[in-house]
Amino acid sequence: MRDLNAPANPLETLAYIIAQQIEDHSVVYIGTGIPMVAGILAKKTHAPNITLVYESGGQDPIEGDMPWSVGCPMTWRKSPTIMEMSYSFAQCYNGYVDIGFLGFAQVDMYGNVNTHMIGKDYHQPKVRLTGSGGNNDLSSLTEKMVLVGLQTPDKFPEKVDFITSVGWLEGGDSRKEAGLIGNGPAAVISPWGVYDFHPASKRMRVKSLTPGVTFEIAQQLTGFELLRPEGEIPDTKLITPECLKIIRAQVDPRGVFTTMPAA
Amino acid sequence: MAEYLYNEEALENLRIKDTSVLDRLVDFESAREAHLKKEHAKKDKRMPLDEAIATFVKDGDVITDGGFSYVRTAHQAFYEIIRQGKKNLQMIGAPNTNQSFFITYGLVTHSHSSYTGAEMRGIDKVYDRALKAGRITILSEWSHGGVAQGFKAAQLGVPGLLSKQMLGSDLVRYNPYLKVIQNPLKAVKDPAVFVPALYPDVSIIHCHAADKYGNAYIYGPAVNDLAVAAAARKLIITAEEIVPENDIRYNKHGQIIPFFYADAVVEMPFGALPGSMPGCYYWPRQWWEKCMRFGGSSEENNRIFCDEWILGTKNQYEFIEKLGGARWIAEARRQTKAAEGDNEDIDFSYDEYTLTHDPGRYY
Repeated sequence: MRDLNAPANPLETLAYIIAQQIEDHSVVYIGTGIPMVAGILAKKTHAPNITLVYESGGQDPIEGDMPWSVGCPMTWRKSPTIMEMSYSFAQCYNGYVDIGFLGFAQVDMYGNVNTHMIGKDYHQPKVRLTGSGGNNDLSSLTEKMVLVGLQTPDKFPEKVDFITSVGWLEGGDSRKEAGLIGNGPAAVISPWGVYDFHPASKRMRVKSLTPGVTFEIAQQLTGFELLRPEGEIPDTKLITPECLKIIRAQVDPRGVFTTMPAA
Repeated sequence: MAEYLYNEEALENLRIKDTSVLDRLVDFESAREAHLKKEHAKKDKRMPLDEAIATFVKDGDVITDGGFSYVRTAHQAFYEIIRQGKKNLQMIGAPNTNQSFFITYGLVTHSHSSYTGAEMRGIDKVYDRALKAGRITILSEWSHGGVAQGFKAAQLGVPGLLSKQMLGSDLVRYNPYLKVIQNPLKAVKDPAVFVPALYPDVSIIHCHAADKYGNAYIYGPAVNDLAVAAAARKLIITAEEIVPENDIRYNKHGQIIPFFYADAVVEMPFGALPGSMPGCYYWPRQWWEKCMRFGGSSEENNRIFCDEWILGTKNQYEFIEKLGGARWIAEARRQTKAAEGDNEDIDFSYDEYTLTHDPGRYY
């Protein structure tokens, strides 16, 4: 059993901030990991009527335990229908999905995502990662994308080492020019800040910062020049004790997704 | 003159000189020929697993991953391919996680890459090491949706389709099969990606029930398998149970692979182990944690792990004994029924495998 009263860790903070992006009654496409926690948290709190969709084909399950994988029975528990993979992504193209959540290993100043490899040489990477999975598909098709991950200068480089998924590409109208649909990435969420994109240049901009994090600290954690919003930078709303208890007691009671890995 | 005009930029980026290695996957004519020459009569196609693999999986074939990584995947048949030591295989799938077992033994030398890993259990270090050592060559980079559309195009019976996925990304610069073209009906600029229909040589699909002719029933996520079954030149069905044809006709409504796609039918209870099988058994979760964490930690440990479980077992029954025998079966069945809402909620907590703690049990 987890201590329900210990202070929130960065992963729990992240799950809460993501959950706040979800509006009730919406159809939400969920990737593996923290987005699963956020989706289920939203459903148990402010958005009980959302419908969750997963790329293995599961959708609209009756709530159960945390899925162990996006293919877990918990993603299709008594679902009215289970989609084939091609049809599942097609729901994003056809406009049935309101918002999607993706993870990243790197995200750049235009919200392009890399989950392929780290290093400058494709043939001799420092490390090879998973590849796209459904990451590219959701980024290409979904009306509103929210990108979720940890923040260091290496994870927030000026240019990603491999463009797995297009965000705003090279800024301006370049995403649309490339033929992609949807409104592109709306936000990037890290434990230290929430970022959006300048409406014209599409460069990443601070939207709000975790209490205690200044613009200067956020800049130091970033490998490119962050844009500053006009006026005071608001604090990101912190997780309430009530939501923290729900995460620990109901959503992820064993802490599979929301305990910090031992260093 | 070459038969296919591959994406030149991708050939250069991937350093592919001899493009003949790419042809089989998109060679519709030979796939249609293979489908025409298949046994179309309703005949008993049952045979043992070793015979099915020996007969239908050939060196150099393009094989497919199936199910969803570790959900209803024909793992036990994959292990038989490894035991028989087939050579120079290509592998494609969405996901393509299980290529790493074949790469470990040098069977799969060419990858059509989409996703390789075990989600939250971590990145696949076997693939990482093999790439750096040059033991695996990437022939194409895909998104899951791109592969799914390629198989679906084959099932639909079309040369390919136009996709709005992968545009603008490096996937189209590292995939010789993809070409960005203008939507021909639009007056304004409207780029789309041409995704060709994909025809793998051989697919092994694990199903819940099949009759002796090869009508095969899938419960739970079919993922890409209905499309793959229609596309593959050769199809091996492995099934949890063999049932009378009338059971399929009267009781097994939903996702059915027609018998005339199948070349072989293999009775394979627990054929998805160590993966999970919807309605039948839940994962041995610690097995995958050990595979990714212990096996991932070094090539030597990976071999120790795979030798113990893959070469060290002759069949699924020996595998089950290692997992905990009848006790494991009972726990795995209880867990999967609870997970699917067919039984009371149970406590899903388990003793996780970590590098410093081996619980020595798999449920």
